[in-house]
Amino acid sequence: MDILISSIAAGVLIGMVLALVALGLTIIFGVMDIVNFAHGEFLMIGMYTGLLTAKAVGIDPLLALPVAAAVGFLLGVICYYGFVKFLLRGPMVAQLLGTFGLMLFLRNLALLIFGSEDRALHHGLLVGKSFDLGMGVIIPATKLAAAGLSVIAFLAVWLLMNRTKLGKALTATSLNSQAARYMGIATERMNALAWGIGGGSVTVAGALIVNFWSVNPFVGLLFTMIAFAIVALGGFGSVPGALFASIVVGLIMEIPGIWDFLTYTLSWDWMINVPMTSFKYTFVYLAYFIIMVIRPSGLFGWKH
Amino acid sequence: MKGKGKLLIVFFGLIAISGLLIPSGAWAVKEIKIGVIFPLTGGAAAAGRELRAGTELAAEIANKVYPDLPMAMAQNAGIKSLGGAKIKLIFKDHEGNPTLGADLAKKLILDDKVDGIMGCYFSSVTKTVSSVCEQYGVPMINTSSTSPALTKRGFKWFWRTTPHDKWFTKDLFEFLNGLTDGKVRGVKAVAKKEITNIASACEKTEWGSHVSQLIAQLAKEYGFRVRKSILYAAKSTDLSSEVRSLKAARPDVMLFASYTSDAILMVKTLKAQRAHPKIIWGQDAGFEKPEFRKTLGDNIVGILTRTVFLPKVVEIKKLAGLVNAMYKEKTGNDLGGASARAFTGLQTWVYLLEKAGSTKPADIQRAANTIYIPGKELVVPWKGIKFSTSGDEIGQNTLGSGLIGQYQKQKDGTVGLEIVYPFDVSSADMIYPFPGY
Repeated sequence: MDILISSIAAGVLIGMVLALVALGLTIIFGVMDIVNFAHGEFLMIGMYTGLLTAKAVGIDPLLALPVAAAVGFLLGVICYYGFVKFLLRGPMVAQLLGTFGLMLFLRNLALLIFGSEDRALHHGLLVGKSFDLGMGVIIPATKLAAAGLSVIAFLAVWLLMNRTKLGKALTATSLNSQAARYMGIATERMNALAWGIGGGSVTVAGALIVNFWSVNPFVGLLFTMIAFAIVALGGFGSVPGALFASIVVGLIMEIPGIWDFLTYTLSWDWMINVPMTSFKYTFVYLAYFIIMVIRPSGLFGWKH
Repeated sequence: MKGKGKLLIVFFGLIAISGLLIPSGAWAVKEIKIGVIFPLTGGAAAAGRELRAGTELAAEIANKVYPDLPMAMAQNAGIKSLGGAKIKLIFKDHEGNPTLGADLAKKLILDDKVDGIMGCYFSSVTKTVSSVCEQYGVPMINTSSTSPALTKRGFKWFWRTTPHDKWFTKDLFEFLNGLTDGKVRGVKAVAKKEITNIASACEKTEWGSHVSQLIAQLAKEYGFRVRKSILYAAKSTDLSSEVRSLKAARPDVMLFASYTSDAILMVKTLKAQRAHPKIIWGQDAGFEKPEFRKTLGDNIVGILTRTVFLPKVVEIKKLAGLVNAMYKEKTGNDLGGASARAFTGLQTWVYLLEKAGSTKPADIQRAANTIYIPGKELVVPWKGIKFSTSGDEIGQNTLGSGLIGQYQKQKDGTVGLEIVYPFDVSSADMIYPFPGY
């Protein structure tokens, strides 16, 4: 039973972190109808920011979160004014290819600056520590903290979107930008804000993830794919959908653990060496594929 | 006049004959280019740095005279039989990519006109690079790729100095048997049922997947039970589900074949998940890199790794001690399995060229198939180097051997490797069971 509980707990915790990863993607899409292919690269930059700030200043990596948020926000705003704004004038395909180009640019820039070596945090308040919940269920402290902080950040963005004037302006822009402009909303600034919030939330997620993942310039692609799967499942543009779908995706990633539970509970030896862990992301992409076929707008989607 | 003419003919004749007696290479060759292909960036960059430093040190010793070093190549400046020609190394970085490795090999052969190739650490890259060498008829010495399949292809231009994984994995099971027989220093005989369940996690390129198969095959032969075997990507940035899956099998013994960054990540994750098997063993590579020890510190006390060289060898072999001191001066680290084998690989190149007295591939091939380098010339604790020329392992050194070391706290507070196998050269009592986290 400990195998099952450990897997479900791990799935839920990583799902909570992934929610923050997907949040930025869904906000940018919701407001501007742009799919940001460089989303994973923003996360990679967040990971490097967390790692390097912690190492340079000698503080705990979790204290580097505000720096990561600021870097992400600025990066998002700069990307919008310096690049995306011009893309908006082009057709949809130009926007897609444009953010794809941004992805390649950021990745290669990171390669140039940081090299291709894996880097990881080895020291920190919570790094390497864990909680024993009894019955053999172990929860790594870094994941628990990352999940908690991620949910807090997620709620903060949700409150901003739903309980403030600024959020209402953002929502108005996403519903009908032309009408919003007539109402006096500075839609261009709202677009930049969406990129800023999107960038800031995903870099914070990156700075949380670097507490237990190692980083290299190529790590972003995996997260872009996972974020796409989450947003497709939850519905493009839906913030609560992103949270729900993230936890579903986190649990899907733990199918190998559930498989192990069944293997050892049923004592079916043939199941032992089925290489389930090699397919953990395949299950996610499969879910992505299925949802795109049967319900393209996702479970909570409202954008068409 | 007639007499003078005869004298001239005799004179020129003598010059011509003397020219024939001296090997043609001695006149022509000023330097010998060896193309060296290693992973100098990427996840195994730390290993690449070690491999490069070991190779460079051997070239330095070969190119200058070091009268105090008791090895033949230290007594001459350059290759004596080639008129003192110096070794020039041309390094290339394969980044762990087999296709890139093959391209680099072609470039070295066609553009740089190298006389031979050395590399490539990753078995997967060695496989493609050696195929290119075979195609062009260029000799290649492999120093540290241990996939058994590499010498089973009947290649004529490929020689491997290191023992391969079948020997090493056999050593592991001999060691486990020794544990049950009470042969391990400092450990009372352990009941076999205490260590019978095995789980393995190996990276999934050529090397790791072969190790995984060997573990399954030899476990069966030796009467152990593999409860789980996982293959994972060495470039993984997260291994938590792999570790949970390993733990779920409730193994007594956990076995790994990992490169550097994944070995570090694996042990960190084992710690975070509080894994507590009785034995953790790594198949060399990442598990014996200086970065592994420096990064993880006390967390690796009790972990075993197979290797071909441990700093402790320095205490039993004078030559190893002298070369280790030079290496330490150059890099700040002790020789390790990768650097010692890279050193030995280039040393083998030097002896081959010395024996061949030529840079013609056919002469080098002949020299490689007949060479014998005695163990006393080597820094690694082997009986020597002699390549198999028949049977199903053509090009494999038949005189190599392995060691198993265990990380233990040293008197100076640092963590270092102690020899626990072979039993007759063990340097400390083994820590058993693994202390856990």
